Amino acid sequence: MSGEEDRIASEAAIWHAASANDDMDWDGFTTWLEADPRHAVIYDEIALADARLQELTPTLTPPLMAANDAAEAEHATYQGRHAGWWRWAGGALAACLVAVLAVPQFLQTDPHIYETADASRTIALADGSHIALAPHSRLQIADGEQDMELSGGAWFNISHDPSRKLTITAGQLQISDIGTQFDVQHNGDGVRVNVAEGTVNVSSQALSAPVRLEAGRGLLFDASNGVSRVNAIPLEDAGSWRSGRLSYQSMPLALVASDITRYAGVQVTVAETLRNREFSGTLIVTDGKTALRDLSQLMGVDVTGNGDSFRLVPPDR
Amino acid sequence: MGARYPLMRIVDFGAVGRGRALPEGGLAATFELERAALLRFLAARAGNADEAEDFLQDLWIKLQTPTSAPVANPKAYLFRMANNLVLDARRARQRAMTRDRGWINADGDDDCAPEDRKDPGLPADEEIAARQEAQVLQNAIDALPDGARRALVLYRFEERGQAEIAQIMGISRSGVEKHLAVAMKHLRKALCDCGLFATAASEGQENTKGHGLETGSTA
Repeated sequence: MSGEEDRIASEAAIWHAASANDDMDWDGFTTWLEADPRHAVIYDEIALADARLQELTPTLTPPLMAANDAAEAEHATYQGRHAGWWRWAGGALAACLVAVLAVPQFLQTDPHIYETADASRTIALADGSHIALAPHSRLQIADGEQDMELSGGAWFNISHDPSRKLTITAGQLQISDIGTQFDVQHNGDGVRVNVAEGTVNVSSQALSAPVRLEAGRGLLFDASNGVSRVNAIPLEDAGSWRSGRLSYQSMPLALVASDITRYAGVQVTVAETLRNREFSGTLIVTDGKTALRDLSQLMGVDVTGNGDSFRLVPPDR
Repeated sequence: MGARYPLMRIVDFGAVGRGRALPEGGLAATFELERAALLRFLAARAGNADEAEDFLQDLWIKLQTPTSAPVANPKAYLFRMANNLVLDARRARQRAMTRDRGWINADGDDDCAPEDRKDPGLPADEEIAARQEAQVLQNAIDALPDGARRALVLYRFEERGQAEIAQIMGISRSGVEKHLAVAMKHLRKALCDCGLFATAASEGQENTKGHGLETGSTA
Protein backbone atom coordinates (compact mmCIF):
# COMPACT_ATOMS: atom_id res chain seq x y z
CA MET A 1 0.00 0.00 0.00
CA SER A 2 1.43 3.35 -1.00
CA GLY A 3 1.91 6.08 1.57
CA GLU A 4 -0.73 8.10 -0.20
CA GLU A 5 -3.26 5.27 -0.06
CA ASP A 6 -2.43 4.75 3.58
CA ARG A 7 -3.05 8.42 4.30
CA ILE A 8 -6.40 8.34 2.50
CA ALA A 9 -7.41 5.14 4.27
CA SER A 10 -6.61 6.68 7.67
CA GLU A 11 -8.70 9.74 6.92
CA ALA A 12 -11.53 7.70 5.43
CA ALA A 13 -11.61 5.48 8.50
CA ILE A 14 -11.84 8.47 10.81
CA TRP A 15 -14.72 9.88 8.77
CA HIS A 16 -16.41 6.52 8.86
CA ALA A 17 -16.07 6.13 12.62
CA ALA A 18 -17.34 9.69 13.12
CA SER A 19 -20.34 9.19 10.82
CA ALA A 20 -22.14 7.21 13.51
CA ASN A 21 -22.32 10.28 15.71
CA ASP A 22 -24.76 13.14 15.60
CA ASP A 23 -21.98 15.71 15.57
CA MET A 24 -20.42 14.41 12.36
CA ASP A 25 -19.24 17.27 10.14
CA TRP A 26 -21.09 16.22 6.98
CA ASP A 27 -20.14 19.36 5.04
CA GLY A 28 -16.49 18.77 5.88
CA PHE A 29 -16.86 15.17 4.77
CA THR A 30 -18.36 16.33 1.46
CA THR A 31 -15.42 18.65 0.91
CA TRP A 32 -13.02 15.82 1.69
CA LEU A 33 -14.75 13.52 -0.79
CA GLU A 34 -14.67 16.19 -3.48
CA ALA A 35 -10.96 16.79 -3.02
CA ASP A 36 -9.88 13.57 -4.73
CA PRO A 37 -11.92 10.84 -6.44
CA ARG A 38 -9.85 8.18 -4.69
CA HIS A 39 -11.27 9.38 -1.37
CA ALA A 40 -14.75 8.05 -2.19
CA VAL A 41 -13.34 4.76 -3.51
CA ILE A 42 -11.32 4.04 -0.39
CA TYR A 43 -14.09 5.31 1.88
CA ASP A 44 -16.39 2.79 0.18
CA GLU A 45 -13.97 0.00 0.97
CA ILE A 46 -13.73 1.01 4.62
CA ALA A 47 -17.51 1.18 4.93
CA LEU A 48 -17.92 -2.11 3.09
CA ALA A 49 -15.38 -3.83 5.33
CA ASP A 50 -17.30 -2.62 8.38
CA ALA A 51 -20.63 -3.68 6.87
CA ARG A 52 -19.19 -7.11 6.15
CA LEU A 53 -17.91 -7.32 9.71
CA GLN A 54 -21.40 -6.56 11.01
CA GLU A 55 -22.91 -9.22 8.77
CA LEU A 56 -20.39 -11.77 9.93
CA THR A 57 -20.09 -10.98 13.66
CA PRO A 58 -22.47 -13.81 14.59
CA THR A 59 -20.01 -16.27 13.03
CA LEU A 60 -16.92 -14.66 14.55
CA THR A 61 -15.37 -15.28 17.93
CA PRO A 62 -14.75 -12.15 19.96
CA PRO A 63 -10.98 -12.16 20.60
CA LEU A 64 -11.41 -12.53 24.34
CA MET A 65 -13.04 -15.91 23.98
CA ALA A 66 -10.56 -17.01 21.35
CA ALA A 67 -9.71 -20.14 23.33
CA ASN A 68 -13.14 -21.55 22.60
CA ASP A 69 -14.07 -23.11 19.35
CA ALA A 70 -16.54 -20.82 17.59
CA ALA A 71 -19.16 -23.52 17.19
CA GLU A 72 -18.79 -24.63 20.78
CA ALA A 73 -18.34 -21.16 22.24
CA GLU A 74 -21.29 -21.94 24.46
CA HIS A 75 -19.32 -22.81 27.54
CA ALA A 76 -18.51 -19.51 29.09
CA THR A 77 -16.62 -20.14 32.27
CA TYR A 78 -17.55 -18.69 35.56
CA GLN A 79 -14.52 -17.06 37.04
CA GLY A 80 -15.70 -15.82 40.38
CA ARG A 81 -13.08 -13.60 41.94
CA HIS A 82 -10.67 -13.80 39.04
CA ALA A 83 -12.58 -12.28 36.22
CA GLY A 84 -9.82 -9.82 35.37
CA TRP A 85 -10.64 -7.79 32.33
CA TRP A 86 -14.38 -8.18 32.48
CA ARG A 87 -14.52 -7.39 36.13
CA TRP A 88 -12.57 -4.23 35.41
CA ALA A 89 -14.79 -3.30 32.49
CA GLY A 90 -17.82 -3.90 34.63
CA GLY A 91 -16.40 -1.67 37.31
CA ALA A 92 -15.82 1.10 34.81
CA LEU A 93 -19.31 0.62 33.49
CA ALA A 94 -20.75 0.78 36.97
CA ALA A 95 -18.81 4.00 37.50
CA CYS A 96 -20.30 5.47 34.37
CA LEU A 97 -23.79 4.46 35.41
CA VAL A 98 -23.24 6.40 38.58
CA ALA A 99 -22.17 9.35 36.49
CA VAL A 100 -25.29 9.10 34.40
CA LEU A 101 -27.49 8.95 37.48
CA ALA A 102 -25.87 12.11 38.74
CA VAL A 103 -27.29 14.13 35.84
CA PRO A 104 -30.62 12.43 35.36
CA GLN A 105 -32.55 15.47 34.20
CA PHE A 106 -30.75 15.53 30.85
CA LEU A 107 -31.24 11.94 30.01
CA GLN A 108 -33.94 10.18 31.80
CA THR A 109 -37.52 10.32 32.59
CA ASP A 110 -38.52 8.76 35.87
CA PRO A 111 -38.35 4.99 35.73
CA HIS A 112 -41.59 3.10 35.43
CA ILE A 113 -41.91 0.18 37.79
CA TYR A 114 -44.26 -2.69 37.06
CA GLU A 115 -44.96 -5.25 39.75
CA THR A 116 -47.21 -8.23 39.60
CA ALA A 117 -48.87 -10.30 42.32
CA ASP A 118 -50.66 -13.58 41.48
CA ALA A 119 -51.38 -12.71 37.87
CA SER A 120 -49.10 -11.90 34.96
CA ARG A 121 -49.55 -8.76 32.92
CA THR A 122 -48.58 -7.45 29.53
CA ILE A 123 -46.59 -4.27 29.11
CA ALA A 124 -46.67 -2.52 25.74
CA LEU A 125 -43.72 -0.36 24.72
CA ALA A 126 -43.94 2.71 22.55
CA ASP A 127 -42.34 0.99 19.55
CA GLY A 128 -44.84 -1.87 19.42
CA SER A 129 -42.71 -4.29 21.41
CA HIS A 130 -44.35 -6.02 24.31
CA ILE A 131 -43.39 -7.80 27.46
CA ALA A 132 -45.33 -10.40 29.42
CA LEU A 133 -44.37 -9.99 33.07
CA ALA A 134 -44.76 -13.19 35.06
CA PRO A 135 -46.57 -13.39 38.41
CA HIS A 136 -44.64 -12.16 41.46
CA SER A 137 -42.18 -10.27 39.31
CA ARG A 138 -40.87 -6.77 39.02
CA LEU A 139 -39.69 -4.85 35.98
CA GLN A 140 -38.20 -1.39 36.09
CA ILE A 141 -38.09 0.50 32.81
CA ALA A 142 -35.98 3.64 32.58
CA ASP A 143 -34.19 5.92 30.19
CA GLY A 144 -36.76 6.02 27.41
CA GLU A 145 -37.31 2.27 27.45
CA GLN A 146 -33.60 1.64 26.84
CA ASP A 147 -32.78 0.29 30.26
CA MET A 148 -34.68 -2.39 32.12
CA GLU A 149 -34.14 -4.30 35.29
CA LEU A 150 -35.95 -7.54 35.97
CA SER A 151 -36.45 -9.69 38.99
CA GLY A 152 -38.73 -12.66 38.49
CA GLY A 153 -39.76 -13.77 35.04
CA ALA A 154 -40.68 -12.09 31.80
CA TRP A 155 -41.22 -12.91 28.16
CA PHE A 156 -39.86 -10.26 25.82
CA ASN A 157 -41.03 -9.68 22.29
CA ILE A 158 -38.87 -6.79 21.15
CA SER A 159 -39.11 -5.43 17.64
CA HIS A 160 -35.83 -5.09 15.87
CA ASP A 161 -34.34 -1.62 15.73
CA PRO A 162 -30.57 -1.46 15.21
CA SER A 163 -30.39 2.06 16.60
CA ARG A 164 -31.79 1.17 20.00
CA LYS A 165 -29.45 0.18 22.78
CA LEU A 166 -31.81 -1.69 25.04
CA THR A 167 -30.17 -3.46 27.94
CA ILE A 168 -31.98 -5.71 30.38
CA THR A 169 -30.33 -6.41 33.70
CA ALA A 170 -31.30 -9.59 35.51
CA GLY A 171 -29.23 -10.43 38.56
CA GLN A 172 -25.60 -10.41 37.50
CA LEU A 173 -26.39 -10.64 33.79
CA GLN A 174 -26.87 -7.93 31.21
CA ILE A 175 -28.82 -8.81 28.11
CA SER A 176 -28.33 -6.56 25.12
CA ASP A 177 -28.33 -6.49 21.35
CA ILE A 178 -31.92 -7.48 21.24
CA GLY A 179 -34.29 -7.88 18.32
CA THR A 180 -36.10 -10.98 19.18
CA GLN A 181 -38.32 -13.12 21.37
CA PHE A 182 -36.84 -14.54 24.52
CA ASP A 183 -37.61 -15.42 28.10
CA VAL A 184 -35.74 -14.41 31.22
CA GLN A 185 -36.13 -15.94 34.66
CA HIS A 186 -34.27 -14.45 37.58
CA ASN A 187 -34.65 -16.12 40.97
CA GLY A 188 -32.17 -15.27 43.68
CA ASP A 189 -28.75 -16.18 42.33
CA GLY A 190 -30.02 -17.98 39.25
CA VAL A 191 -30.70 -16.36 35.90
CA ARG A 192 -31.97 -18.21 32.85
CA VAL A 193 -32.25 -16.78 29.36
CA ASN A 194 -34.03 -18.81 26.67
CA VAL A 195 -34.18 -17.49 23.12
CA ALA A 196 -37.08 -18.39 20.82
CA GLU A 197 -36.27 -16.14 17.90
CA GLY A 198 -33.31 -14.01 16.79
CA THR A 199 -30.28 -13.58 19.01
CA VAL A 200 -29.31 -11.78 22.19
CA ASN A 201 -25.99 -10.96 23.74
CA VAL A 202 -25.48 -11.87 27.39
CA SER A 203 -22.63 -10.39 29.37
CA SER A 204 -21.62 -10.27 32.98
CA GLN A 205 -18.68 -9.38 35.14
CA ALA A 206 -18.82 -12.97 36.26
CA LEU A 207 -18.51 -14.41 32.77
CA SER A 208 -15.13 -14.71 31.09
CA ALA A 209 -16.64 -13.39 27.88
CA PRO A 210 -20.03 -12.33 26.55
CA VAL A 211 -22.20 -15.10 25.16
CA ARG A 212 -24.24 -14.75 22.02
CA LEU A 213 -27.40 -16.78 22.30
CA GLU A 214 -29.30 -17.81 19.22
CA ALA A 215 -32.82 -19.07 18.88
CA GLY A 216 -33.10 -22.53 20.40
CA ARG A 217 -30.44 -21.87 23.00
CA GLY A 218 -30.80 -21.34 26.69
CA LEU A 219 -28.28 -19.98 29.17
CA LEU A 220 -28.32 -21.05 32.79
CA PHE A 221 -26.29 -18.82 35.09
CA ASP A 222 -26.24 -20.00 38.69
CA ALA A 223 -24.05 -17.82 40.87
CA SER A 224 -24.81 -19.87 44.00
CA ASN A 225 -22.66 -22.75 42.78
CA GLY A 226 -20.64 -21.01 40.08
CA VAL A 227 -22.25 -22.77 37.14
CA SER A 228 -22.90 -21.24 33.78
CA ARG A 229 -23.90 -23.31 30.79
CA VAL A 230 -25.65 -23.09 27.45
CA ASN A 231 -28.05 -25.78 26.29
CA ALA A 232 -30.08 -26.42 23.22
CA ILE A 233 -33.75 -25.96 24.10
CA PRO A 234 -36.92 -26.71 22.16
CA LEU A 235 -38.16 -23.38 20.79
CA GLU A 236 -41.61 -23.83 22.29
CA ASP A 237 -40.13 -24.19 25.76
CA ALA A 238 -39.00 -20.56 25.88
CA GLY A 239 -41.67 -18.65 27.77
CA SER A 240 -43.92 -21.72 28.07
CA TRP A 241 -45.04 -20.51 31.51
CA ARG A 242 -47.47 -18.34 29.59
CA SER A 243 -49.40 -21.49 28.75
CA GLY A 244 -49.10 -22.97 32.24
CA ARG A 245 -46.23 -25.30 31.47
CA LEU A 246 -42.64 -25.40 32.72
CA SER A 247 -40.08 -27.51 30.87
CA TYR A 248 -36.61 -28.30 32.13
CA GLN A 249 -33.45 -30.01 31.10
CA SER A 250 -31.02 -30.87 33.88
CA MET A 251 -32.24 -27.97 35.99
CA PRO A 252 -31.10 -27.68 39.63
CA LEU A 253 -34.04 -28.51 41.87
CA ALA A 254 -33.71 -25.25 43.78
CA LEU A 255 -34.53 -23.31 40.62
CA VAL A 256 -37.43 -25.60 39.74
CA ALA A 257 -38.84 -25.04 43.22
CA SER A 258 -38.55 -21.29 42.92
CA ASP A 259 -40.45 -21.49 39.62
CA ILE A 260 -43.24 -23.48 41.24
CA THR A 261 -43.41 -20.83 43.93
CA ARG A 262 -43.70 -18.11 41.31
CA TYR A 263 -45.98 -19.77 38.79
CA ALA A 264 -48.07 -22.17 40.83
CA GLY A 265 -48.57 -20.04 43.90
CA VAL A 266 -47.33 -22.47 46.55
CA GLN A 267 -44.25 -21.80 48.65
CA VAL A 268 -41.67 -24.51 48.03
CA THR A 269 -38.23 -24.80 49.55
CA VAL A 270 -35.63 -27.50 48.99
CA ALA A 271 -33.47 -29.34 51.52
CA GLU A 272 -29.81 -28.35 51.23
CA THR A 273 -28.75 -31.82 50.08
CA LEU A 274 -31.22 -31.75 47.19
CA ARG A 275 -30.63 -28.24 45.90
CA ASN A 276 -28.33 -29.28 43.07
CA ARG A 277 -30.13 -32.47 42.10
CA GLU A 278 -31.12 -32.02 38.49
CA PHE A 279 -34.60 -32.31 37.07
CA SER A 280 -35.56 -32.90 33.45
CA GLY A 281 -39.18 -32.92 32.38
CA THR A 282 -42.33 -30.84 32.07
CA LEU A 283 -44.58 -29.67 34.87
CA ILE A 284 -48.12 -28.37 34.44
CA VAL A 285 -48.38 -25.48 36.86
CA THR A 286 -52.04 -24.55 36.67
CA ASP A 287 -52.37 -26.20 40.09
CA GLY A 288 -49.44 -25.84 42.44
CA LYS A 289 -50.03 -28.88 44.58
CA THR A 290 -50.38 -31.16 41.58
CA ALA A 291 -47.18 -29.77 40.11
CA LEU A 292 -45.38 -30.34 43.38
CA ARG A 293 -46.68 -33.91 43.67
CA ASP A 294 -45.60 -34.65 40.09
CA LEU A 295 -42.17 -33.23 40.75
CA SER A 296 -41.66 -35.18 43.98
CA GLN A 297 -42.73 -38.43 42.30
CA LEU A 298 -40.51 -37.90 39.27
CA MET A 299 -37.56 -37.08 41.47
CA GLY A 300 -38.21 -39.71 44.14
CA VAL A 301 -38.19 -37.18 46.95
CA ASP A 302 -40.62 -36.53 49.79
CA VAL A 303 -42.76 -33.47 50.40
CA THR A 304 -43.31 -32.14 53.88
CA GLY A 305 -45.39 -29.20 55.01
CA ASN A 306 -48.97 -28.16 54.73
CA GLY A 307 -51.28 -25.37 53.69
CA ASP A 308 -49.40 -23.38 51.12
CA SER A 309 -45.85 -23.99 52.29
CA PHE A 310 -43.89 -27.11 51.43
CA ARG A 311 -40.39 -28.47 51.52
CA LEU A 312 -38.76 -31.08 49.31
CA VAL A 313 -36.67 -33.45 51.43
CA PRO A 314 -34.72 -36.67 50.83
CA PRO A 315 -36.94 -39.78 50.98
CA ASP A 316 -37.41 -41.05 54.48
CA ARG A 317 -36.20 -44.62 54.41
CA MET B 1 -2.38 15.78 6.35
CA GLY B 2 -4.54 15.73 9.38
CA ALA B 3 -7.78 13.87 9.64
CA ARG B 4 -10.50 16.28 10.58
CA TYR B 5 -12.41 15.65 13.72
CA PRO B 6 -15.92 16.86 14.16
CA LEU B 7 -16.37 19.34 16.96
CA MET B 8 -17.08 17.64 20.24
CA ARG B 9 -20.15 18.59 22.09
CA ILE B 10 -19.81 18.74 25.85
CA VAL B 11 -22.68 16.45 26.63
CA ASP B 12 -23.27 13.83 24.01
CA PHE B 13 -24.57 10.40 24.67
CA GLY B 14 -24.62 9.54 21.02
CA ALA B 15 -27.50 7.23 20.55
CA VAL B 16 -30.31 8.26 18.29
CA GLY B 17 -33.60 7.96 20.05
CA ARG B 18 -32.75 9.68 23.27
CA GLY B 19 -33.60 13.10 21.97
CA ARG B 20 -36.96 14.71 21.82
CA ALA B 21 -39.21 13.64 18.99
CA LEU B 22 -39.64 16.19 16.26
CA PRO B 23 -43.07 17.35 15.32
CA GLU B 24 -44.41 15.49 12.31
CA GLY B 25 -42.79 16.81 9.16
CA GLY B 26 -39.59 17.91 10.90
CA LEU B 27 -37.49 15.63 8.75
CA ALA B 28 -39.22 16.78 5.59
CA ALA B 29 -38.55 20.40 6.48
CA THR B 30 -34.90 19.61 7.14
CA PHE B 31 -34.75 17.72 3.87
CA GLU B 32 -35.88 20.81 1.98
CA LEU B 33 -33.44 22.97 3.86
CA GLU B 34 -30.53 20.62 3.22
CA ARG B 35 -31.52 19.48 -0.26
CA ALA B 36 -28.62 21.19 -2.04
CA ALA B 37 -26.07 20.03 0.53
CA LEU B 38 -27.43 16.47 0.37
CA LEU B 39 -27.21 16.45 -3.40
CA ARG B 40 -23.68 17.75 -3.32
CA PHE B 41 -22.77 15.14 -0.73
CA LEU B 42 -24.35 12.32 -2.72
CA ALA B 43 -22.57 13.43 -5.90
CA ALA B 44 -19.23 13.40 -4.09
CA ARG B 45 -20.01 10.14 -2.31
CA ALA B 46 -21.30 8.29 -5.38
CA GLY B 47 -18.85 9.99 -7.73
CA ASN B 48 -21.61 10.63 -10.21
CA ALA B 49 -24.18 13.42 -10.44
CA ASP B 50 -26.92 11.35 -12.13
CA GLU B 51 -26.69 8.63 -9.53
CA ALA B 52 -26.84 11.34 -6.86
CA GLU B 53 -30.23 12.51 -8.16
CA ASP B 54 -31.51 8.95 -7.96
CA PHE B 55 -30.24 8.54 -4.42
CA LEU B 56 -31.84 11.82 -3.39
CA GLN B 57 -35.12 10.56 -4.85
CA ASP B 58 -34.77 7.31 -2.89
CA LEU B 59 -34.07 9.27 0.26
CA TRP B 60 -37.20 11.36 -0.23
CA ILE B 61 -39.28 8.22 -0.72
CA LYS B 62 -37.83 6.67 2.41
CA LEU B 63 -38.79 9.74 4.40
CA GLN B 64 -42.44 9.10 3.60
CA THR B 65 -42.33 6.15 5.97
CA PRO B 66 -42.57 7.53 9.49
CA THR B 67 -39.71 6.59 11.79
CA SER B 68 -40.39 4.75 15.00
CA ALA B 69 -37.51 6.25 16.97
CA PRO B 70 -37.48 9.94 17.70
CA VAL B 71 -34.79 11.80 15.80
CA ALA B 72 -32.44 13.88 17.91
CA ASN B 73 -30.56 15.56 15.09
CA PRO B 74 -32.45 15.63 11.79
CA LYS B 75 -29.54 16.84 9.68
CA ALA B 76 -27.22 14.09 10.91
CA TYR B 77 -30.05 11.60 10.48
CA LEU B 78 -30.65 12.59 6.84
CA PHE B 79 -26.98 12.53 5.90
CA ARG B 80 -26.52 9.18 7.59
CA MET B 81 -29.50 7.84 5.66
CA ALA B 82 -28.03 9.23 2.43
CA ASN B 83 -24.67 7.70 3.26
CA ASN B 84 -26.31 4.35 3.94
CA LEU B 85 -28.23 4.42 0.68
CA VAL B 86 -24.96 4.67 -1.22
CA LEU B 87 -23.39 1.99 0.96
CA ASP B 88 -26.33 -0.36 0.37
CA ALA B 89 -25.99 0.11 -3.38
CA ARG B 90 -22.26 -0.60 -3.15
CA ARG B 91 -22.93 -3.72 -1.11
CA ALA B 92 -25.39 -4.99 -3.66
CA ARG B 93 -22.80 -4.40 -6.38
CA GLN B 94 -20.15 -6.08 -4.27
CA ARG B 95 -22.32 -9.14 -3.77
CA ALA B 96 -23.06 -9.37 -7.46
CA MET B 97 -19.34 -9.21 -8.21
CA THR B 98 -18.59 -11.83 -5.60
CA ARG B 99 -21.13 -14.11 -7.20
CA ASP B 100 -19.92 -13.44 -10.72
CA ARG B 101 -16.23 -13.72 -10.40
CA GLY B 102 -15.12 -15.19 -7.13
CA TRP B 103 -13.27 -12.81 -4.94
CA ILE B 104 -10.06 -14.71 -4.42
CA ASN B 105 -7.59 -13.69 -7.08
CA ALA B 106 -5.64 -16.33 -8.89
CA ASP B 107 -2.37 -14.68 -7.92
CA GLY B 108 -2.69 -16.09 -4.42
CA ASP B 109 -2.36 -13.91 -1.36
CA ASP B 110 -0.73 -15.50 1.61
CA ASP B 111 -2.91 -13.59 4.04
CA CYS B 112 -5.80 -15.85 3.13
CA ALA B 113 -5.71 -19.08 5.04
CA PRO B 114 -4.68 -21.69 2.47
CA GLU B 115 -7.09 -24.30 3.74
CA ASP B 116 -9.92 -21.88 3.14
CA ARG B 117 -8.89 -20.85 -0.31
CA LYS B 118 -10.89 -22.39 -2.99
CA ASP B 119 -9.85 -23.30 -6.48
CA PRO B 120 -9.67 -19.97 -8.29
CA GLY B 121 -11.06 -21.54 -11.41
CA LEU B 122 -14.42 -22.31 -9.85
CA PRO B 123 -17.21 -19.76 -9.72
CA ALA B 124 -17.53 -18.29 -6.27
CA ASP B 125 -20.07 -19.61 -3.90
CA GLU B 126 -21.42 -17.02 -1.52
CA GLU B 127 -21.25 -19.29 1.43
CA ILE B 128 -17.63 -20.19 0.85
CA ALA B 129 -16.86 -16.54 0.30
CA ALA B 130 -18.54 -15.67 3.58
CA ARG B 131 -16.51 -18.32 5.39
CA GLN B 132 -13.30 -17.06 3.87
CA GLU B 133 -14.12 -13.47 4.69
CA ALA B 134 -15.02 -14.42 8.23
CA GLN B 135 -11.63 -16.09 8.59
CA VAL B 136 -9.83 -13.08 7.13
CA LEU B 137 -11.71 -10.74 9.44
CA GLN B 138 -11.10 -12.99 12.43
CA ASN B 139 -7.35 -13.01 11.78
CA ALA B 140 -7.32 -9.26 11.23
CA ILE B 141 -9.21 -8.61 14.48
CA ASP B 142 -6.93 -10.91 16.44
CA ALA B 143 -3.91 -9.03 15.07
CA LEU B 144 -5.20 -5.54 15.92
CA PRO B 145 -3.39 -3.33 18.40
CA ASP B 146 -4.93 -3.77 21.88
CA GLY B 147 -6.81 -0.47 22.07
CA ALA B 148 -8.26 -0.81 18.60
CA ARG B 149 -9.29 -4.40 19.21
CA ARG B 150 -10.95 -3.61 22.48
CA ALA B 151 -12.83 -0.64 21.03
CA LEU B 152 -13.93 -2.74 18.07
CA VAL B 153 -15.17 -5.59 20.26
CA LEU B 154 -17.20 -3.17 22.35
CA TYR B 155 -18.54 -1.45 19.23
CA ARG B 156 -19.38 -4.30 16.91
CA PHE B 157 -19.66 -7.40 19.10
CA GLU B 158 -21.29 -5.77 22.12
CA GLU B 159 -22.90 -3.04 20.04
CA ARG B 160 -22.16 -0.27 22.46
CA GLY B 161 -22.23 3.38 21.41
CA GLN B 162 -19.03 5.36 21.09
CA ALA B 163 -19.82 7.56 24.08
CA GLU B 164 -20.29 4.48 26.22
CA ILE B 165 -17.05 2.95 24.93
CA ALA B 166 -15.25 6.17 25.83
CA GLN B 167 -16.49 5.81 29.38
CA ILE B 168 -15.65 2.12 29.60
CA MET B 169 -12.14 2.63 28.25
CA GLY B 170 -11.63 5.85 30.16
CA ILE B 171 -10.62 7.83 27.08
CA SER B 172 -12.12 10.70 25.09
CA ARG B 173 -14.68 10.07 22.41
CA SER B 174 -12.28 11.19 19.71
CA GLY B 175 -9.87 8.63 21.17
CA VAL B 176 -12.53 5.99 20.56
CA GLU B 177 -12.95 7.26 17.01
CA LYS B 178 -9.22 6.91 16.45
CA HIS B 179 -9.15 3.36 17.82
CA LEU B 180 -12.13 2.39 15.69
CA ALA B 181 -10.58 4.04 12.65
CA VAL B 182 -7.39 2.03 13.14
CA ALA B 183 -9.48 -1.14 13.39
CA MET B 184 -11.56 -0.33 10.29
CA LYS B 185 -8.45 0.53 8.32
CA HIS B 186 -6.89 -2.83 9.19
CA LEU B 187 -10.07 -4.70 8.27
CA ARG B 188 -10.21 -2.95 4.92
CA LYS B 189 -6.56 -3.78 4.30
CA ALA B 190 -7.10 -7.42 5.19
CA LEU B 191 -10.07 -7.73 2.84
CA CYS B 192 -8.24 -5.80 0.08
CA ASP B 193 -5.20 -8.05 0.42
CA CYS B 194 -7.43 -11.03 -0.12
CA GLY B 195 -8.87 -9.50 -3.22
CA LEU B 196 -12.35 -8.63 -2.05
CA PHE B 197 -12.12 -5.14 -3.44
CA ALA B 198 -10.01 -6.06 -6.46
CA THR B 199 -12.49 -4.71 -8.96
CA ALA B 200 -13.46 -1.64 -7.02
CA ALA B 201 -9.82 -0.80 -6.37
CA SER B 202 -8.80 -1.09 -9.99
CA GLU B 203 -11.76 1.03 -10.99
CA GLY B 204 -10.56 3.58 -8.52
CA GLN B 205 -7.09 3.39 -9.94
CA GLU B 206 -8.39 4.16 -13.41
CA ASN B 207 -10.46 7.02 -12.15
CA THR B 208 -7.45 8.45 -10.48
CA LYS B 209 -5.34 8.25 -13.57
CA GLY B 210 -8.11 9.77 -15.62
CA HIS B 211 -8.38 12.75 -13.32
CA GLY B 212 -4.65 13.02 -12.92
CA LEU B 213 -5.14 14.27 -9.37
CA GLU B 214 -2.27 14.10 -6.99
CA THR B 215 -2.23 16.04 -3.80
CA GLY B 216 1.51 16.09 -3.39
CA SER B 217 3.05 14.47 -0.34
CA THR B 218 3.51 10.78 -1.03
CA ALA B 219 5.54 10.17 2.12
